[in-house]
Amino acid sequence: MPSVAPSPGRTSIAALLPSRSPKLVVGLAIAGVIIAWAIVGPFLVRDPNAISTDWFAHPSAAHWLGTNQTGQDVWSQLAYGTRGSLIIGFVVGIIATVFSGVFGVLGGYIGGAVDEGFALFTNVVLVIPGLPLVIVIGNYVPQNHRGLLLIALVLTITSWAGSARVLRAVTLSLRNRDYVAASRVSGEKTWRILVVEILPNLVPVMASQFVFAIIFAILGEAGLSFLGLGANGTFTLGTMLFQAYNDLALTQGAWWWFVPPGLMIALFGAALSLINFSIDEIINPKLRNSTRAARRKWGLTAAQIHRLEQENLK
Amino acid sequence: MSLSKKRLFLGATALAAAAALVLTGCSSDGSSGNSSGGATTITLFNGSVGNFTENFNPLLSTGAELQPSQGVLYETLFYYNMARAQKPVPVLGTAYSWNADGTQLTITTRSGVTWTDGQPFTAKDVAFTFTLFQKNPGLNTTGATWTATATNDNTVVLTFPSTSFTLEPQLLGNMAMVPEHIWSKIADPAKETNTSPVGTGPYKLKSFSAQSYVLTRNPTYWGTGDEAPKVENVRYISLANADAATSALESGQIDWMGSYLPTLKNIIKQHPNLSYVNTPDSVTDIVACSNAALGCTGPQTDPAVRQAIYYAMDRTQLNTQAVAGFAEPASAALLVPSVNGDNIVDQANASLPQTADVAKAKSVLEAAGWKLGGNGYYSKGGQELDLSVNVVTGWTDYDTDCTLLQGQLKPAGIKLSVNQVAQNAWSQAEVSGKFQLSLNSINPGASPSPYFIYNNYLSTSNTAKAGESATTNVSRYSNPTVDAAIKDVASTNDPAKQKVDYGVIQAQIVKDMPYIPIYVNQALTQFNNSRATGWPTQDNLYAFPEPWKAWDNGIVLKAIRPAKG
Amino acid sequence: MRFYLQKVLFYVVALWFAVTLNFLIPRLMPGNPVDVLISKMGAAGQPVTPATRKALEIQLGTGGGGNWFGQYGQYLNDLIHGNLGVSLVNYPATVTHVIGQALPWTIALIGLSTVIAFLLGVGLGMFAGWRRGSWLDNLIPATTVLQAVPYFWLALILVLFLTRWHQWFPYAGGYDVASTMPGVSLRFVGSAIYYGFLPACTIVISSIGGWMLGMRNMMVATLSEDYVVAAEAKGLRPRRVRLTYAARNAVLPSLSGFAISLGFVVAGSIVTEQVFSYPGVGQLLWTSVSNNDYALMQGIFLVISLSVLAANLIVDLLYALIDPRTRARA
Repeated sequence: MPSVAPSPGRTSIAALLPSRSPKLVVGLAIAGVIIAWAIVGPFLVRDPNAISTDWFAHPSAAHWLGTNQTGQDVWSQLAYGTRGSLIIGFVVGIIATVFSGVFGVLGGYIGGAVDEGFALFTNVVLVIPGLPLVIVIGNYVPQNHRGLLLIALVLTITSWAGSARVLRAVTLSLRNRDYVAASRVSGEKTWRILVVEILPNLVPVMASQFVFAIIFAILGEAGLSFLGLGANGTFTLGTMLFQAYNDLALTQGAWWWFVPPGLMIALFGAALSLINFSIDEIINPKLRNSTRAARRKWGLTAAQIHRLEQENLK
Repeated sequence: MSLSKKRLFLGATALAAAAALVLTGCSSDGSSGNSSGGATTITLFNGSVGNFTENFNPLLSTGAELQPSQGVLYETLFYYNMARAQKPVPVLGTAYSWNADGTQLTITTRSGVTWTDGQPFTAKDVAFTFTLFQKNPGLNTTGATWTATATNDNTVVLTFPSTSFTLEPQLLGNMAMVPEHIWSKIADPAKETNTSPVGTGPYKLKSFSAQSYVLTRNPTYWGTGDEAPKVENVRYISLANADAATSALESGQIDWMGSYLPTLKNIIKQHPNLSYVNTPDSVTDIVACSNAALGCTGPQTDPAVRQAIYYAMDRTQLNTQAVAGFAEPASAALLVPSVNGDNIVDQANASLPQTADVAKAKSVLEAAGWKLGGNGYYSKGGQELDLSVNVVTGWTDYDTDCTLLQGQLKPAGIKLSVNQVAQNAWSQAEVSGKFQLSLNSINPGASPSPYFIYNNYLSTSNTAKAGESATTNVSRYSNPTVDAAIKDVASTNDPAKQKVDYGVIQAQIVKDMPYIPIYVNQALTQFNNSRATGWPTQDNLYAFPEPWKAWDNGIVLKAIRPAKG
Repeated sequence: MRFYLQKVLFYVVALWFAVTLNFLIPRLMPGNPVDVLISKMGAAGQPVTPATRKALEIQLGTGGGGNWFGQYGQYLNDLIHGNLGVSLVNYPATVTHVIGQALPWTIALIGLSTVIAFLLGVGLGMFAGWRRGSWLDNLIPATTVLQAVPYFWLALILVLFLTRWHQWFPYAGGYDVASTMPGVSLRFVGSAIYYGFLPACTIVISSIGGWMLGMRNMMVATLSEDYVVAAEAKGLRPRRVRLTYAARNAVLPSLSGFAISLGFVVAGSIVTEQVFSYPGVGQLLWTSVSNNDYALMQGIFLVISLSVLAANLIVDLLYALIDPRTRARA
């Protein structure tokens, strides 16, 4: 039988990376620049809260992205907003990954009643409509406590279950692999099997989910803010967009206030998508090299075909 | 098996293709005309969002009743114009008089009026309606008691257990008259949706759908000449946001709407058919939870802090940047000068500082014992001058005000943080007294009389401890001098006597400042003059021009006429 | 048997959870409807006195009543009898009536555009996966960029360009209220499609990328499965291999995603309907939340929960139809 996909098995991540992937390079570069900007930017710009009578000023040397309704510098707000949005993105990414790991991997590996319980819980959470829940939680928590972290928490609640379901399926298939069974038979401890045998195989999947959770969180934050349920008293790209929308920035021609935050989200999201493409190619090497043209070159013999057919019948 | 799969995919492609065809095919089909046939139809947007639910019960006050029920389909006895100082205008009533001690009100009703089903309107209907309010405490928003009797076909006498001058505008100007022959058969008027309304108003219902409804001219309306409706049809629509409203106005699809549009002056310049009116509406203010004795906490319970905010704010900047310069200067007396100028006793209280006076603000604070700290903010007894102001998310002008105030108060050593909250949380905080500052406005009552403002916002009887629900005096202000003066106003209907009391009240609130006035909030109304003319203008505010204003609507719709040509 | 038992258990637990959450949520929210109403009345220039509060409380029948346990029993009983209560905002109209007015619009607009996005995305993804390296395949990274754009941002910019700068599309509403009335007429349907076109487009644009990518990846993976290789080697027609062998298996994961997104049609409509002033459930949910209209809120949540569950059920059944292994397990 032709070996189509080399088993990802237990090699290191570096070895798994596609040898040359412009997508990965571009994605990492853009994301890197934006992350660096989010960390350093706020130290370089002026006070984003400082008001002035120079309102709705066009972009100029003094205000690179102009000013808004209250005369605040949009460029400075963009720096702080990017930081706020990225904090939400990463917090949600991390917590959601931990949650989905616990409910998906642990449940899937332990099996039995625990697994059934976890799976049931996951599925139930998955069908509970997230947005209304978010609206309600957002309404319930007093505004002055509605900081970045609360928004992150709310978004986490609605974002981990899908990943957990996928992880459970993958774990279930892994735990029945021969090498895992071998470890079990040889008396290795459960946690050791989990950490050493199973987790490394899940890393690419979880990485992809992590990246996706970040995009989801940043977009989710923007959506919540648009509905007036965003973070209070801090800048995020979502709260910037909300304010710009509310003050009719586009109608008043102040595109420099409305367009940049959205573009920033799109750019960062696109960069993460590109990274995800590359991770997908790691998880699934078929995506890399198995074009149909390549497959034709394998040149199956009649005997191979016959054997395949036999296997298919089983 | 193979069948099901084929069906799935064939079905799928077919559906996609069909959808694409339908969508592209119809996207080119043209725009809509607004006039059907020869009759003039004007379109009106009164701020409704989403679907309409059919309910034309004019006795309700929950907002579930569709707004033209009050003033267009049904009418009151008199009309009180809130836009300018003016005597009540006779509608279904022609005259009224009080007895000396204010316990008996005699009303003369109009003759020659018929309901839209052809039955005559008489004083009996009026007495029935007043009694209906008594029988249904849920409908009686005045909470007062009275008995109503029709002494003949044109006279109704209302008798009260105590002096009730102040009920006048509510009874005469805020209660819709309904026909006895219909409403006497309705078991629970509070639950009635009244889908085929029979009223006396200038218009009657023509058609209804959840997205739009149309009223048509009442051919048997009592008014003649200027008092008769002249435009054939009025259509009501709903829109979800200001962008859509702007588009609607610019594209000429709306004839009358009232939205705050920051670019309004530009729009008017580009569209010669459009005009607007800027009506003084209410005084925008910062409400302070002011009374520590009733459980308010925070630095704002110190009157000096409220005074300092009063001096530190730059009202010119607030007006320019938050409301595009449409606001008017307010008065320290919390009254709108253009409506109630005569009732401001001391002319020193008729205006407000329009620019920031940081030095004055600082000296007020220092005189009260506040010390400037190293971080640029004042503190007193270990408590920093750190305040939070609640504002409703999405109320654009208020939100901008707060952002600006945050910056304006900083040089005066006052730290302000802004809490943007949903409307329900904001009103909950105010009502329960769990807030420090809150941006709101001083709304007038049933008539322009200052009595209603002062009684609602300042009287002890309308407040409660923090933690309990206060109806209207959310500042928790309580001052025996003010209470006595308010009581005195209610005991008479002699304007000269009342004015003396107003002076007493004004002197107190300028000192205590439970509400820190900012400016007179604008109510911007936009009109399209291409289909109808005769709208209210800045110089002729014969009615409060906003399309969402109950009772005034009917007056405006009677006054306009189809444009010629 | 065990498989079906698990499924039934899941639906029962999920339903109970949703219904109970529904009961709790409004009771945990701040504010009460009378306060909101009073602040609105004041803003609309209506006189407000202390008596007003009392009158409104009587009118709306609010003001406490029983402990939560009793209320919960009453609530379940009402649910079973299909009684969702009375909407406070639209008092005395029933919740059922109010939702009934809005639901068709949402289902038609958002439901249909979700289906279109799914079909188009899956179809294009299938071809992209089949022909790796083609222009279509290379387009895929670009479509995911569209997915990373905040939906309302894109929609608002499109609205500005296509309804204000160029008046190609209507800026708001579900149909042309001036020229037609809802009903089974060509004029109304045409008008409704014209008004729904732009919102539908924005939904399709922003969600098609995900379906495309998912389907394309599954297609690629499936195409290298042995049975596909075998089918090709046997010399079956490419079309047959593509549809019967590859696409049919590749679409399975997308289907469950489709179920979830179908279920969220109602919930996801808030932003779209806000941007386009569309008369659907999203706007209704928004007004009910901002007015503390508990009964209406509960009703809408119930509709959302039920539609998610129903979508899941349909997919479970569909799976059994397309993937015989599911049935074998049972």
